[in-house]
This record gives sequence, structure tokens and C-alpha cells, in this order.
Amino acid sequence: MTVWISYLDQILLYAALALSLNLLLGYAGQVSVAHAAFGAIGGYTMAYTTQAHGWNFLLGTALGMVIAFVIGTIVALPALKLTVEYLILLTLGVSSVILGLVVAIPSLGGTYGLINLPAVDLFGWHLRSPTDWLIPSGVAMVLVYAVCHRIGESPAGRVLKGIREDPVATGALGKNVFAYKVAVFGLTSALAAFAGALIAGWLRLATPGVFGFSFSLTVFAIVIFGGMANLTGTVVGAAIVVLLEPILERVIDLEPAKAGYVELIVYGLALAVLMRLRPQGALPEGFSVWGLLRGRRQSTGRIEMVADWVPTTVQRVVEHDPAHEEPTLEEEQRREHAWHDAPVVLQTKGVSKRFGGIIAADELDIELRRGTITALVGPNGAGKTTVFNLLTGAVAPDAGSILLHGEELVGLQPHQIARRGMVRSFQDVRLFNRLSCLQNVMLAVQGQPGEHAGKLFLSPRAVDRAEQETRERALAWLRFVGMGEFAAVPAGALSYGQTKLVSLARVLATEADVLLLDEPASGIDTKWVDTMLDLIEQVRDQGRTVCVVEHNLHVVGRLADHTYFMELGRITAQGTIAELTSSPRLAEVYFGT
Amino acid sequence: MLALTFETFRQLTVDGFFRGCSYGLLGVGFALILGVTGRFHFAYGFTYTLASYLGFTFAFRVNWPFWLSAALGVLLAAVLGALIEAGVYRPLARNAGATALLAVFVAALGIGIAGENLIRLLWGANTQAFYGPRKVGYELWDAIFINFDVWQAASSIAIAVLLAAMLRYTGLGRQIKATRINPDLARTIGIDADRIYVIVFFLGTICAGVASFWYALKYTVDPGMGTLPVTYAFVVAFLGGTTSSPIRVFVTGIVVALIEQYASIWLSVRYTQTAVFVVLVGYLTYLAITQSAWYVRVRTRTAAGV
Repeated sequence: MTVWISYLDQILLYAALALSLNLLLGYAGQVSVAHAAFGAIGGYTMAYTTQAHGWNFLLGTALGMVIAFVIGTIVALPALKLTVEYLILLTLGVSSVILGLVVAIPSLGGTYGLINLPAVDLFGWHLRSPTDWLIPSGVAMVLVYAVCHRIGESPAGRVLKGIREDPVATGALGKNVFAYKVAVFGLTSALAAFAGALIAGWLRLATPGVFGFSFSLTVFAIVIFGGMANLTGTVVGAAIVVLLEPILERVIDLEPAKAGYVELIVYGLALAVLMRLRPQGALPEGFSVWGLLRGRRQSTGRIEMVADWVPTTVQRVVEHDPAHEEPTLEEEQRREHAWHDAPVVLQTKGVSKRFGGIIAADELDIELRRGTITALVGPNGAGKTTVFNLLTGAVAPDAGSILLHGEELVGLQPHQIARRGMVRSFQDVRLFNRLSCLQNVMLAVQGQPGEHAGKLFLSPRAVDRAEQETRERALAWLRFVGMGEFAAVPAGALSYGQTKLVSLARVLATEADVLLLDEPASGIDTKWVDTMLDLIEQVRDQGRTVCVVEHNLHVVGRLADHTYFMELGRITAQGTIAELTSSPRLAEVYFGT
Repeated sequence: MLALTFETFRQLTVDGFFRGCSYGLLGVGFALILGVTGRFHFAYGFTYTLASYLGFTFAFRVNWPFWLSAALGVLLAAVLGALIEAGVYRPLARNAGATALLAVFVAALGIGIAGENLIRLLWGANTQAFYGPRKVGYELWDAIFINFDVWQAASSIAIAVLLAAMLRYTGLGRQIKATRINPDLARTIGIDADRIYVIVFFLGTICAGVASFWYALKYTVDPGMGTLPVTYAFVVAFLGGTTSSPIRVFVTGIVVALIEQYASIWLSVRYTQTAVFVVLVGYLTYLAITQSAWYVRVRTRTAAGV
């Protein structure tokens, strides 16, 4: 019986460590094989301070958490720009360095480690038997679970998932991807150290073997088995991995020496098979056991859309005017005049950018004016998308100045520019595929208190209220583009045209002043184009400043108040679309006739 | 004061060179696999170990001729490498889509763990000696080495050069490079990318197998012998560049081994392995900094003379 209680302790403690990894791996999508090494920092710090200096267990644990937090934060700094391959390698390197140092420092016991630790003393209570450990391990697991759950299932967790799906798009919505990555790395390292200290206390030893690379893999396997971004799954995963050994021993009745190998063979093969058959793990993301018990419908599967679905619930701000469809020459002239009278919101002066020998932008002078739509047209490769990259800070210009409401934007990060009220959409849409449409749009809402760790834990009620408000606003924007009924559907299940609509809702939900739309109507069904154009016109009529990059000259003709023509990184003409298309030279450049 | 004599330095350099040939070959194989297929092949260590164990079995259990057994072991391990690609990674990557890298990484970890323990179960967990041809010692410029070192260096260099020449001058090499740049595009011009992947896994595992065989001949074999080489293979492949020429990766392997050797002058032996990883972490940090917006801005400003 004691054996089983001991296994239960082990499940709880392993789960605590794996939960911290799941927040990092499952939610933020940052692969780390160094989590056991951060556990080692906690375990060794606790072991050394209690054994050699007679510190209290909790104090030693706290110090271990601080050290792990600092090291984790430092490790995360280079991790920002690294792709998954490099991140795996970096954490592998960090893990080896930490374990190498631990072995090399004589006062930490070298390869033997620190053994015969004093029994943990919690407020005068000596923890000796596995039964004594049940309560502390349970409390530790619940604590780590609560912290990870609070963060993972909050607005901050939504941002982490956004980073996992597409860091560029997340940054373009005004989220500080760098700060989030560093914070989540540091925090989960500290949590891993916490669990590591408890594991060392429970085993009464801290050795390189306990926290070695194979333990890192075990923790990794627990998260994968249980299901990424599902915390309950991680607890289930810990139970599966820990209980595999005793069950195999008893069921197959192997001699103990061989059972260890068979266990690892089964467990290794199970990992490979699992990735093939059930890559989402035992409990997939979004699956809730409690929800199931309460009879709530689980929305985890993909929903295939009916191909010929047309948005019907578009709410019109202004009555649709058929005259908009094919603007007359006078109408175009009138709009061009209106454009010249409108106040300048964004102005670029001499913006240039070279990529090696290619001049992507050459002395660009562009103006965007309030309550108007400015179009950017030109042949493929003219540098239109580069203009958006330059304006939003994704690419730093070599020279020139970009002023938004008179404020210089050159030198700011994409998220800083987004927060100043200029937001872009992407030609390749870039929705967060595994998030629902509603979550996609909610991510775009600015100034959410739940995105700050302090407010998240200290003023939960204000966070809940704000979350409700965010949800309503996001839903309103989804309804505005006619996608309200798809709120719960994962974005990855939508048809292409639908993703374009949701991406428009996402841009609108930022409530930015200036919207840069990259080919909003391209590649979508003709019957959708009208809907899309109606929406963009309504946005303009709300007094926002819009700039569109577009290939379809009919679209440009209908939308644009003013058009810039771009060739080889240079603005070569501007005016109404009729003026531009009447120039034989431009027509030749554009159509290649 | 540093107690470094010129003899010690020469011995360290010679040791480093031979060891570096092994790291280099491991790196070449791993870089080929990772660079072309993008698979994070963590089971590389398992195929490495298996090559020696198979050779060992053929030579001493079945009593086949020594060199035939060795070659057969390497070849069979390479076939297994190709089978892992065709039977596990490929279907997995197709199924997983965008998250293929992580899925393959996890599956590779699983196969690595299962494989290592399968070896323990079949051959026992003990260290075993691997008796081959007679060991002959040489002395050159006060540095001591053995005949196995020379053979190992010669065969490793030969393989790296042959691979480089194959990539550069043959049709297959061009197909491999095309697949490395863009597998989908390669398919449209009639290259069977799946076949190329399998070939690359075969060739990459040959590199691992040869490195494994020389290690086993010089030292001993044990089921866990693949863990460290696979990490070195990673490090060398990344430092050398997964899409660079095998020659460059190979030289990187020698540099890494020399760093490790020279580190032992100043550091206790316990720290030398750590030194390699410190270099790695430093290099990755450097990569991250040079790619960061902050660095680009600073450099742009300096270039503009502000």
C-alpha cells in the first residue's frame, strides 16, 4: 500500500513540474528540453542550503525559484528570434551547461550529488513517510495548476496562444511578443524549480541522475501524452507515465531488471505511435473534464463549412447606395477633391529600403488622410507589401521619416506602432488557426487588464469584468462582418473568404485610426467581394483612415479616393484611378500589354 | 602559472584532430539529414549505437570476417535510418502539417528511448569490448596516436569529401540540393522528394555508423554510447550550418574538438564538455542578437554615420 502512496506522491510532483512546462510548450509554443535542469536548480539550491547551512526548506526553495527565474529570463532573451530548431538546441545546450556545472562544483557533491538530506520540516512537521508527503505534494500540484490555469486561460494566455500560432501577427496587433516570451520563460523556470525542490525533498537527495536529460524527456513526454495546452491532461499524463512501470511489472510479470527496459521501450514506442494516431494527446486543447461532467458541449473538433455559405447578417451603418458600384468620372473627381481637403494622418518622407542590391522602396512620399481610402497599386514586385512592412515597423527603413499624427514611427517596434493606432492586415491572412474566431478577434482588443500579470492575480474581479466587455466587443465586430454565428468555430476550419472577413474583424477590433489592408478582396469568391467592399466603405464612413493594396482595378476604382501607382519601389504617379488607367505607359507597365 | 609544455600542446592538438574527425563526420551526417529533410532526427544516436552492436554481433557471435561484419553493421543501421524516415517520420509529418517539426521531434525521442533500451534488453546493459585488428602505436613530433586513429581520420575525411563531391558534381547531388531548397518545387520538376529524403537518411546514417564503428574499436560499446555523440552532432551541424557544404561542417567538428581539448588546459576536465555547450549557447545568443531589430537599428545608424 505504501508503494502506491509513494507512486501517488510521484504523480503529483511530476505533474507539478510538467504543468509548468505545459504553460511554456502548450500555450506559448516554446519548446524547452531544459525544464528538468531548472528543476535541478530548485532541487540543488534547496538541498545545499538546508544541508550545508541549515536553512528552512521553504526558504531554500524560494531561493532556488529566484535563481531559476533569473537564469530562465536570461535564456529567454536570445530565444526571441530563434526558430523552433534553434530553441531546442539552445535549451539542450543550457540544460547541459547547468548539469555540467552542477557535477563540476565539488560542494554540490560532484557526480554523486547531495544525498541523505534531512527530512523536510514544514512548520515543525517532519515529513518522513510517503503518506506525510501526500498533502504537501497535493498542495504543490494544485498551486502550480492554479497559477498555470489562471495565466493560461486568461487574456494573457490568449496572447501566448497567439504567439504560438503566429508571433508576427500577434505583434502586429500591439502585443509585446518579446516581453511575453521572456516572462513566460522566467515564470515557468521558477515553477519548475519549485517542483524540483519538492522532488528533491521527497527523495531526500539531489543528484545529477535524478534531474538528468532523461528526466527532461520524461517531463516532456508527460506533457505530450496528456495533451498540450490542457492542464488536466498533464495530470493524467503524469499518472500514465509514472504508473507504466508498476503496471508493467505486475501485469507482464517480468523480472524487475528487465521490466525497466521493457517499460522504456513501451514508453518510447508509445510516444512515436501517439504522435501518429493522437498528436493532440489524451485530453486535447479546450477539452474540459468538468465541462463534460456538467454536460457542456465540447467544441474541439474541426467543423467543415458549407462551401456556398454567404454572410447574411451584415449590419449596415449607412444605406447601401448602388451608385457606389461603378463611380462616374465626376464622382471620382469629387472624391479626389475630398481627399485633398481631408487632414493628413500619416505622412512618409523619403522612406527608402534596400535589400542587398534590390531597391524595395526608393524615396517614398505617401500621405494617408482621415476618412478616406488611399489605394496602392502597381505590378507584382513593385514593393507594395514592403511599404506596409515599413509603415508598421516589421522592416526598418534605411532612411526617411514616417509620421503618424506628427509622431515619428521609425525606430519603433511593430507592437508599439500598432498601439499608436496603425494596424495592418496580411495578404496571407494569418489568423490564429487553433483559436476560435471569437478568440481571434478578442486578441485584437486593446488595453485588456487581464494581459498584465499583476492585475490578473490581484484584481481578478476587474479582469473578469473587462473580459466580459472584450467578449461583447469582439462579438460585435464579428457580427459587423457577418461572421457572428462562427464565433466558436476554430479559424482553421473556415473557408478562405471567411478568413478574410474574420481578419478584417480582427483589424477593426483594434479600433485603430489607420488601417492598412493588404489585398482584402483578392482570392475570394466574387459574391463575397461586394460584402467586403461594403464593409471597407462603412469603415471609411466612420471616419477612419484606410489604405489598401489591391490588384483588382475594379475594386480600386470603387474604393479609392486617391491612388498611388508604384513601380520598382518608386511612386511614379498618383491621382484618381481613371487618370492612372488612361495613361498608356502605366497601363503597359500594369497589364504588360 | 600554466604548466603547459609544447609537447602537451601538440598531443592535445593531435588528440583534438582525431576526435574532431569523429565529431565532424557525425555533424556532416546530421546536417545532411536536418538540412535536407528538416526532420529533428533525435534517434540518430540509436542508429549510431546499433551500427556497432550489429557489427559486434556478426563478428563475434556469428563469427563472420571482421571487416565484413563491420561494413554490414553500418549498412544495416543505415537501412534502419532510411526505414525510420519512410515508416515513421514521413506519415507523421504528412498527418501533422504545420506542427510536423515538433511531432517528428517527439517521435524521434520515443524511438531513441525505445531503441536504446531494446539494445539493453537484447545485448545486456554492460559495456562490451570490441576486439578487432591489432592496435599499433605511432609517435610523431612527440605526439602519440594509434593506427585506428589514422584509419578513422582517413575514412572520415574521405566520406566528407565524397559527399561534398557527390552534392556538387552528380545529378543525385543536384536533386538533393534542389530538395533542400524547396521540396515542393523540386516535386514539380519531377524530383521524387520522398525518395531523396530516404536516400539522405541512408547516407546520413552511414556517417553515424562509421563514426560509431571507429569509436567502438578504439574504446568499448555500451547501450548509452549514442547519447553524447548525438548532442555533438547537433552542435557541430548547427555551428557549421545545416545547409553548408559537408567540408565546412567537418572542419567545424575539428574546431569544436580542439576547443574542447584546449579548454582542458585552463579548465578541469570536468568542465571541458560544459565549455563546448557554453560556446554553443554563446553562438546562439550571438545569432539572436544579430537578427534582432535592436541590432539592425544600431548597425544601420552606425552605417549612416549618425
